[in-house]
Amino acid sequence: MHDRTPPVDTEGGHAEGSTATGEKTASLTERIAATPTPAVLWAVGLLVLLGVEFGAVLQTGAALVAGLGRAVPGLSPEALDGLRSAARSVPTLLSRETIPTQGWRTGADGPWRSTFAGVEPKHAWLVRVGLIYTYAFVFLAWLWLGYRTYRRHYRRADWTPRDDVIDRLRSHRWGQFGLVIVLAFVVMALFAPAMGPTTADRNILNPYDHEIKYYDARTGGVETIAVGDANLRSGSEGPSRNVGPWTYDAYGRFHPFGTLPSGKDLFTFLAEGARISLSIGVASMLISGVIGMAMATITAYYKGVVDLLVVLTSDSIKSLPLLMVLILVVVVFQGTWLAEVYDGAVLLTLVLALVNWPHLWRAVRGPALQVAEATWIDAARSFGQSPAVIMRKHMAPYIVGYMMVYASMSLGGVVISVAGLSFLGLGITPPTPEWGRAVSVGQPYVATASWHISLLPGILVTLVVTGFNALGDGLRDAIDPESEGDTADVESTTAGGGGA
Amino acid sequence: MSRWSYFARRVLLAVPVVFLGTTVAFLIVRLGPIDPAAAILGAQQVGSPEYYQLREQLGLTDPLWEQYIDFMWEMVTFQLGRSWVISPGTRVNDLIAIYAPRTIWLGFWSVLIALCVGIPLGVYAGLNPNTLGDYVASLGGIVWRAMPNFWLAVIIVTVLSQSQALVGVDWERLWVSTQVVTPPDLSVFARPRILITRPGEAWTQVAVAVKQVAPAALVLGSASMGNEMRIGRTAVLEIINADYIEAARAKGVSSRRLIWKHVFRNALIPLVPIITAEAFLLIGGSVLVETVFAINGLGYLFFQATVQGDLPLVISLMYIFILLLVAANILQDFLYTLIDPRVGYERS
Repeated sequence: MHDRTPPVDTEGGHAEGSTATGEKTASLTERIAATPTPAVLWAVGLLVLLGVEFGAVLQTGAALVAGLGRAVPGLSPEALDGLRSAARSVPTLLSRETIPTQGWRTGADGPWRSTFAGVEPKHAWLVRVGLIYTYAFVFLAWLWLGYRTYRRHYRRADWTPRDDVIDRLRSHRWGQFGLVIVLAFVVMALFAPAMGPTTADRNILNPYDHEIKYYDARTGGVETIAVGDANLRSGSEGPSRNVGPWTYDAYGRFHPFGTLPSGKDLFTFLAEGARISLSIGVASMLISGVIGMAMATITAYYKGVVDLLVVLTSDSIKSLPLLMVLILVVVVFQGTWLAEVYDGAVLLTLVLALVNWPHLWRAVRGPALQVAEATWIDAARSFGQSPAVIMRKHMAPYIVGYMMVYASMSLGGVVISVAGLSFLGLGITPPTPEWGRAVSVGQPYVATASWHISLLPGILVTLVVTGFNALGDGLRDAIDPESEGDTADVESTTAGGGGA
Repeated sequence: MSRWSYFARRVLLAVPVVFLGTTVAFLIVRLGPIDPAAAILGAQQVGSPEYYQLREQLGLTDPLWEQYIDFMWEMVTFQLGRSWVISPGTRVNDLIAIYAPRTIWLGFWSVLIALCVGIPLGVYAGLNPNTLGDYVASLGGIVWRAMPNFWLAVIIVTVLSQSQALVGVDWERLWVSTQVVTPPDLSVFARPRILITRPGEAWTQVAVAVKQVAPAALVLGSASMGNEMRIGRTAVLEIINADYIEAARAKGVSSRRLIWKHVFRNALIPLVPIITAEAFLLIGGSVLVETVFAINGLGYLFFQATVQGDLPLVISLMYIFILLLVAANILQDFLYTLIDPRVGYERS
């Protein structure tokens, strides 16, 4: 294989290492104790921001435990329900209880009841989504402010190479575009339960356990109906019956992206699906990143037989067609407990991680080999530092940036492969939402009035993948401005999701 | 180490790679929870006398390492066994011979379309950097590449089958009458002689086959097209501004020699890894694209065999795919060795 190695920033790479291990100066806590005001102000702000959303953190925790439910024998459904309702009782700023969007009219043109401030559900939903994004971006801005505070008041060094990286990223418009898209996607996934006009539990998973009230023009009064029955009569199935994007159905429910053929809300479906896609992507990239990192440092440090063995293993894994292996594994493990944990997400994560690490390893092999030749490694060795410490403290920090570039580019590919699998009816088990399944159920209706079912999820996937690629480009240019074009190998194989 | 001994080492390394890759496939199938005998007879037959007889017959009662050695020997000698479920009793070699031509036809056109559109666009964008044309081409390439194949296939199928209403041109009746969702008719290649003896009729059949496969090929090549464009652009940009081009020009190298020996040859180097990537995308993408376009090729066969539990077919196809990918890798190394004199020089 043809490895081209970008130049090592010799001075830069070492600057941080020496300050971390060098002369004894005040520790971070001591430095904060010396000038506490900026840190305290920042911490108070952070606590306020976290406090208004504390309930959501608990709810996410409860949902995570519930996902394990079927795999862990000790958890009874009653205990799970208790956990969930306890988490729900904590007041939360961005919950649907604070800004309800589900309501009914009292007459044909009467005022709305039970929605936020009595406005129509569309506006209530817009307020909530707007608030979620405002909150998320304020939170991120606060973290950025925290970094600035740290840099100005508490950091020992006036300058580190990371500062240059960040400065380069700040003038990289294409990378910033990617960052914004990726953040928007992450926020959609994190706040999925509050994002949709309704929840996955009410609308998609257990529609017959919930009821809604609506104004019935025929009887002239407010009636009650099970969500499942209402869904049955508000599906999108072409010209004869359709609830398109940005409209209400006959039961006064607002659908920003329209409905599925089954009458379920597409936006809620996609928001929950974003959660699954993102979790699989991030988890599998973390695992393969850690494996790739370990392999890169070990092979660069020891070379020789170890290197040859890893080359062989990784080439063998790379010779397996990704999508075929995914299909095979998912089919082979169908019906086993491993395929049921988190609706199959864990199985997919593990397979993707095992198949993707060789690509990441290959991509950082060049920088790793180069850093292994650096003088500071030699110095550390003659100082008597153990190989493990050298790899962790003196080699890994240099490679981690490159790793992030490739991880970002491959993440889009993971989203595509998972969607491709569920398009084929494999992978994430129904009725748990997954983007590819929406494309699949909407396939017969693309040319009809119900075009939104297939089209919108596909546009979202394209947008998210473009975002991750753009972010990867930005990071690469920021970390190593001279490396343009070196990423071709990894980019082209993994970014496409193995052809899905 | 010389360039060619570096290449020889790469080829030698491919042998254990095929071996290990196939072993992984064997392990997934045989150590996984799937029961081949139950897959053939149906789940309700488990435990019946026929079930045990079948297990005996299939060799499932032998120790695993014996099964493994038998399996590897069969793979190496290309005795790929017989299908169990899809077409019981048919030799896998025969099945592959039936299904492969459609996939090869599809792959050939998807490579060709991607190359013919991607590289010229990339070169154009590289020669006119930061113009409107460059931005449109680059952004188009990026978005085109990011689109999932299966989704693009669904959209293209719909647009083409409704093209009369949507665009005003009926694709199905355009030029020669074809359907959008159909396998290409390759019967003409079974008797290649008629291409010369009866050219009018035969070449029309070829044209029909091309038209039938063109939309699927466009989708399957979409990711590669984007990659080729992007990398071609960067390569041209980098080389045009390189010092050695200036030096060569100053030395008095003729412009023809400058372009072919110094620009073109160097611009090819970053395009080489596309080959492996392309093989990877073609094989993986064939499952989804063939499913949507109803082209019964190898990808479709693999999917059906997997879902229906036809293990000999699944594992033989996997072996074939691994061989193809490794071959693509060797081809890539060969091209590197041919065009990049630095190969094997720095690292020995």
